[in-house]
Amino acid sequence: MKNRFLKGIAVTAVLAFSATGLAITPARAASEIVVWADETRGPNLASVIKAKGDWVPGYTIKIVTYSSFDALKDAFDKATGTSGPDIVVGGNDWVPTAAKSGKLAPVTLTASQKARFNPTQFFDLSYKGKLYGVPVDINNVAMIYNTKLVSSAPNSFGDMVNYYKANKAAKGLKAGLCIAGGGMSWGAHSVFSALGADAYLMSKNGAVNTVQSFNPSIFGANVKKYLLTNGKSNGFFPATDTGCKDNFLAGTVPFAVIGNWEWKDYVAKGFEMNLMPVPGVVDGTYGRMFGSVSGALLTTFADKHGVAAGAKSLLVNFFGSTEGQVKYQLLEGRPPAEKGAQKDASVSAGQKGFGSAASLAGIPQIGAFLNNNKGGANYWDSAPAYWTAVLIDGKDATIEARKLAKIWKTNVATGKGDL
Amino acid sequence: MTLLFKGKIALVTKIILLAGISAILLMLAQSALARKEYAIALFLLIAVLAMNYVYLTSRTVPFKFFLPGTLFLAAFVIAPIIFTLIMSTYNYKTGNYISKQEAIQRVIALGVEPDEAGTTFDIVVGKTKSGELAILASDTTNNKYFISTKSERIDLNPADLTLNADKVATGAPDFVRSTSAQQASSDAYTKIKYVYEGKYFISVESLEAGAVFRQTLEYQPSTDTFRNLLNGTIYRDNGKGNYANLKKQILEPGWRAPTWFSNYEKLITDNHIRGPFIRVFIWTVAFAVLTVLTSFGFGLLLALALNKPLRGRRMYRSILILPYAMPSLMSILIWAGMFDTEFGAINNILNTHIAWFSNASFARAAVILVSLWLGFPYFYLISTGALQAIPSELLEAAAIDGASGRQIFSKITLPLLLQILSPLLIASFAFNFNNFNLIYLLTGGGPKDQLGGQIAGATDILISYTYQIAFGSNVQDLGLASAISVIIFFLVAGISLYGLRKSKVLETFG
Repeated sequence: MKNRFLKGIAVTAVLAFSATGLAITPARAASEIVVWADETRGPNLASVIKAKGDWVPGYTIKIVTYSSFDALKDAFDKATGTSGPDIVVGGNDWVPTAAKSGKLAPVTLTASQKARFNPTQFFDLSYKGKLYGVPVDINNVAMIYNTKLVSSAPNSFGDMVNYYKANKAAKGLKAGLCIAGGGMSWGAHSVFSALGADAYLMSKNGAVNTVQSFNPSIFGANVKKYLLTNGKSNGFFPATDTGCKDNFLAGTVPFAVIGNWEWKDYVAKGFEMNLMPVPGVVDGTYGRMFGSVSGALLTTFADKHGVAAGAKSLLVNFFGSTEGQVKYQLLEGRPPAEKGAQKDASVSAGQKGFGSAASLAGIPQIGAFLNNNKGGANYWDSAPAYWTAVLIDGKDATIEARKLAKIWKTNVATGKGDL
Repeated sequence: MTLLFKGKIALVTKIILLAGISAILLMLAQSALARKEYAIALFLLIAVLAMNYVYLTSRTVPFKFFLPGTLFLAAFVIAPIIFTLIMSTYNYKTGNYISKQEAIQRVIALGVEPDEAGTTFDIVVGKTKSGELAILASDTTNNKYFISTKSERIDLNPADLTLNADKVATGAPDFVRSTSAQQASSDAYTKIKYVYEGKYFISVESLEAGAVFRQTLEYQPSTDTFRNLLNGTIYRDNGKGNYANLKKQILEPGWRAPTWFSNYEKLITDNHIRGPFIRVFIWTVAFAVLTVLTSFGFGLLLALALNKPLRGRRMYRSILILPYAMPSLMSILIWAGMFDTEFGAINNILNTHIAWFSNASFARAAVILVSLWLGFPYFYLISTGALQAIPSELLEAAAIDGASGRQIFSKITLPLLLQILSPLLIASFAFNFNNFNLIYLLTGGGPKDQLGGQIAGATDILISYTYQIAFGSNVQDLGLASAISVIIFFLVAGISLYGLRKSKVLETFG
């Protein structure tokens, strides 16, 4: 029996170790820079990087593509020293938490490298005064209007509401203005702002007022005037984004806020890029929309893998360069963040349309304020809650606006330490 | 056929299978070791040894049957419970994920500040003539050039240098430039603080640029403290996973630190957490009880109705099982659409404009209704089976003795049914206590008065509340979520055990 057992163990062990030897994953090359990206960015990055092999001489660059943006975020949240990427192309809102948790490493750009970008773009990728990546593309929204329904651009918020009320029955309109891209918090900020409620007040020189908030009485009055009839929603602005894109494409909504990542869908359906910011309640004013950037973020794993300098060079030579962004955005189709790439002839009308809307009424997306929930809820949760409370539950627009102003004011006041 | 179980072919087949499985487990063990997951590696090695011992000897015949189940139980049930239990005693949240050693390294790395001008240089990496790692730095604005090592800085005359079109020095006497391959093969040159001026040094920021910094935080291993070199402030380990000064200002990042029962204490002492927790607990029990009662009641009613000869009975039975056959995920999403205030079928049919998911009572009613829809086919099926298992002689005898239909049901059928179905009712209660999918997909735990500062929604059950704490926002508190999970575990186990004892099911099985 013992003999049989020992023989069996010996045979099993030999076979097992042979099989293990075949299956062992080869060790990662010391000169390999690993970049993680989502399902759209990944293949495009791989294609551009492969086409020109020497973005960082001496290093090979491996792009790992995840099936979705959420899957990428999930993987990055779980990433450890051995498995993590050297660079991750992710959202700006990842920066505060990932930096706080020691997953991101700061980068220092030279003056000429900094000059390639709009300074406000660095807000998005900074945490406590340190920059954690380079801006890759701009994420923003703009309002598109259907020229088959309205002949010219509206001058004010009231113009849009009046059009809706006058044509609702005759043209079978399902809403006047809806949010097709960016959701009821990020995408709808332009509507909040158009009616008088900015998430934070900024001066023209980019300084944030960390003491004051929007005026809830004025905002509440505007909501009552333009969005409500007898305390109930007049149907002009739905509280959810459900069906907005389909309804706009079907011609039953004249105005929609759309994201710059989806403009091709509208072009494919025959719409021209009639883009503009959401007009304010006063002629010639506009609601400010978040202009955020996606970033190529440097991780602390790069240092552990011994490729920190190479990874930083890849950030500068490819992700943050005119050549890199032009080549990449030709495939990706988003507005490039780098100034030289923005001026390039290859930038499409859609990309330019969003760019000009952003320049008219953009506001940087500052995670330190928006992600903060010291006021009781962060911006992302409190903003849609306002629409639900007022437009669905029928609560008083001004009372709810006061609650909203209090939350945002506290978030800004307590979040300034993370800037 | 018997050849497969006896003789040499069987032995060879067994050894090949064992070798294959051992190979996979050893490969996983090796991978775990590489990631410093020693507990996992040890478990896998024990599994390989146990497997080979059990299947290559005849000493433990019962274990030949029990071993796979035992290993899976240990890996996928016991280990997660132990891990959750351990994590519930840790400060394990956003900002406190990594180990203390890693945190110290990160604080040191972040504890620098650039000079006031934010000076940067174009650099070329290489070595001095003596073989010391060095950088050749170019200040093209001021036309200044120098070589710097970790011990000295040598200013250079531009006339002696090789400059490129941008006036960046690419070569100098006594300086050997590294090739791209050399730079890529070792990062030793990035670890050096190259001499600049005074306390300022140059750090390699990329292969082409260096930036000027000075150290602002210094770690002192003997006292396990950080000292701010600019103002002398001392930061000590605060026992909660951070270095903090006397003003309780902390250095980031922190680390995963044991805080014993502080997460449990929070549940009792922190009003912000305790208030919602009690409310959510009450609703969780109510939801689980109501779901089991309504589903069982409705399923039994249908089973009784269809237990009698009826025209088209087979068709009715098939139709009743349909909701069970459909993936619950799909059903829940369809119901969510049907409850939509504006476009939902329910409001359209009733000609109402009820905001089902905005009002707490309506949302709870919707949750119970959908859970009834998802649960009744199961109870219908098991009730049908149980009804058919009741001996008809008992019912006939009772009828002969003059018992009415109602008496037969309440005195004979129902008690017998409950005896058979009690374990399933208890299991269903435990399942619904943690029915995350239904809540998350149907209402998302809402409605919740976000503007009023509510952190738990009206339909949140403990598990969805836990999920929200752990993953629901940018700031995750996995330690607190683990503590709630442990409490849920003991609650469900306790309630189930009590139910099983009361129903005497365990004695019956014994």
